[in-house]
Amino acid sequence: MKNNTYTFVFAIIVCVVCGVLLSAVSEGFRRQQEINMDLDIKKNILKAVRLKDPIAPKMKPGDILKIYEEKIQELVIDENGNAIEGRRPSDLKEKEKGVYPLYIYKESGEVMAYAFPIIGQGLWSTLYGYFSLEPDAVTVRGITFYKHGETPGLGGEIDKEWFQDNFRGKKIWSVKEKQLTPIGVVKGKAADLFKDERVEHKVDGITAATITGSGVTEMLDKTIRAYEPFFSKLRKI
Amino acid sequence: MSETLLSKKNRKIIKDGLWDANPITFQVLGICSSLAVTTQLKTSIVMALGLTFVTAMSNVVISLMRNFIPSKIRIIVQLTVVSALVISIDQILKAYVYDVSKQLSVFVGLIITNCIVMGRLEAFAMSNPPWKSFLDGLGNGLGYSCVLIILGIIREILGSGTLLGYHVIPQTWYAAGYVNNGMMVLAPGAFFLLGCIIWIQRSISGYSEVK
Repeated sequence: MKNNTYTFVFAIIVCVVCGVLLSAVSEGFRRQQEINMDLDIKKNILKAVRLKDPIAPKMKPGDILKIYEEKIQELVIDENGNAIEGRRPSDLKEKEKGVYPLYIYKESGEVMAYAFPIIGQGLWSTLYGYFSLEPDAVTVRGITFYKHGETPGLGGEIDKEWFQDNFRGKKIWSVKEKQLTPIGVVKGKAADLFKDERVEHKVDGITAATITGSGVTEMLDKTIRAYEPFFSKLRKI
Repeated sequence: MSETLLSKKNRKIIKDGLWDANPITFQVLGICSSLAVTTQLKTSIVMALGLTFVTAMSNVVISLMRNFIPSKIRIIVQLTVVSALVISIDQILKAYVYDVSKQLSVFVGLIITNCIVMGRLEAFAMSNPPWKSFLDGLGNGLGYSCVLIILGIIREILGSGTLLGYHVIPQTWYAAGYVNNGMMVLAPGAFFLLGCIIWIQRSISGYSEVK
């Protein structure tokens, strides 16, 4: 049996070696990782607004950034829905209150869609995504999720096309009740549960992922209400 | 070195991991992850690759250190080495194959807690030289990989009707009333399948708990 001093020294050496190694690895790859993350976010904004010519799966990062620069106008709005001059979404602090990033997709000068980030709790993890509306500020144009830690095959299905396609064409404004009605994820098939116009505000749930679905409902409700001051000015109903 | 790199004895080390002492079917280790990550073939494959790499490399590192590690803290030292390796892999994946890493980040981290890695360190690397330990890690990793990939294939086809994301069940079947088996997506489905695989493997290899 070796003595305690040896044990301590050994433990310290192992810790220092592993620590230095990990810091080096993390530092060495950080730049590349940040580039990847930034690109991924821009790719998701472009996906959420449903470009007229969607980006090809194997498109080069440089080309994607170019399309982004060309078609997306970045904006920051305050809680009353007014644009704040001189601020960009990329320099917003995470905890900053009362400021909301907004992305406007324009095709040769004409507004095609408005997109904004959605963040909320799923079952295991925080879900991050983007949500986009048509210029009428009523109809859903698209939704994406780019980061989550839900179970693949269950809650993880939120990042699949079949789930996201569900949202297309749904409405966040009820004409009948004349009020904001954010999209809800139901348990089962929306068309089976709602036979009247309420189906316009509901999307199919994911089997065995009810809590993830409620999470999505909640985050949409919260975020859509936060952006309502801005969208109510655009709405013509 | 008195024996060649791939002597009969050394080949047996690999074969043990793959078949006679397969970590899943014989040692019944690594069940948790084999249930969790096999809903899709792609995640199964990357998990299998990651685990094989970590088991082999951590076996080598621990084997090199084996005469210096104080036995009181050996488990913590092993865990530290394993974690360092796993986190490095995770960082590399994030930098170079961001899309794959996004799908897998949770699973890659989970390799740290995989019983097979620690099991092989304790049972083999602590008392054997580096090359043999490497082969042992490789064999066990591959043994685990085979079971994972079989599970991944069966579960993805039956549970989602796809393989590596491509539809393999023809639409006409769905039209005729075929439905995907929801249980295959859930852990219990994997549990039953795994039971069958262990049963089949053991009846072929002739292993029995009761001697």
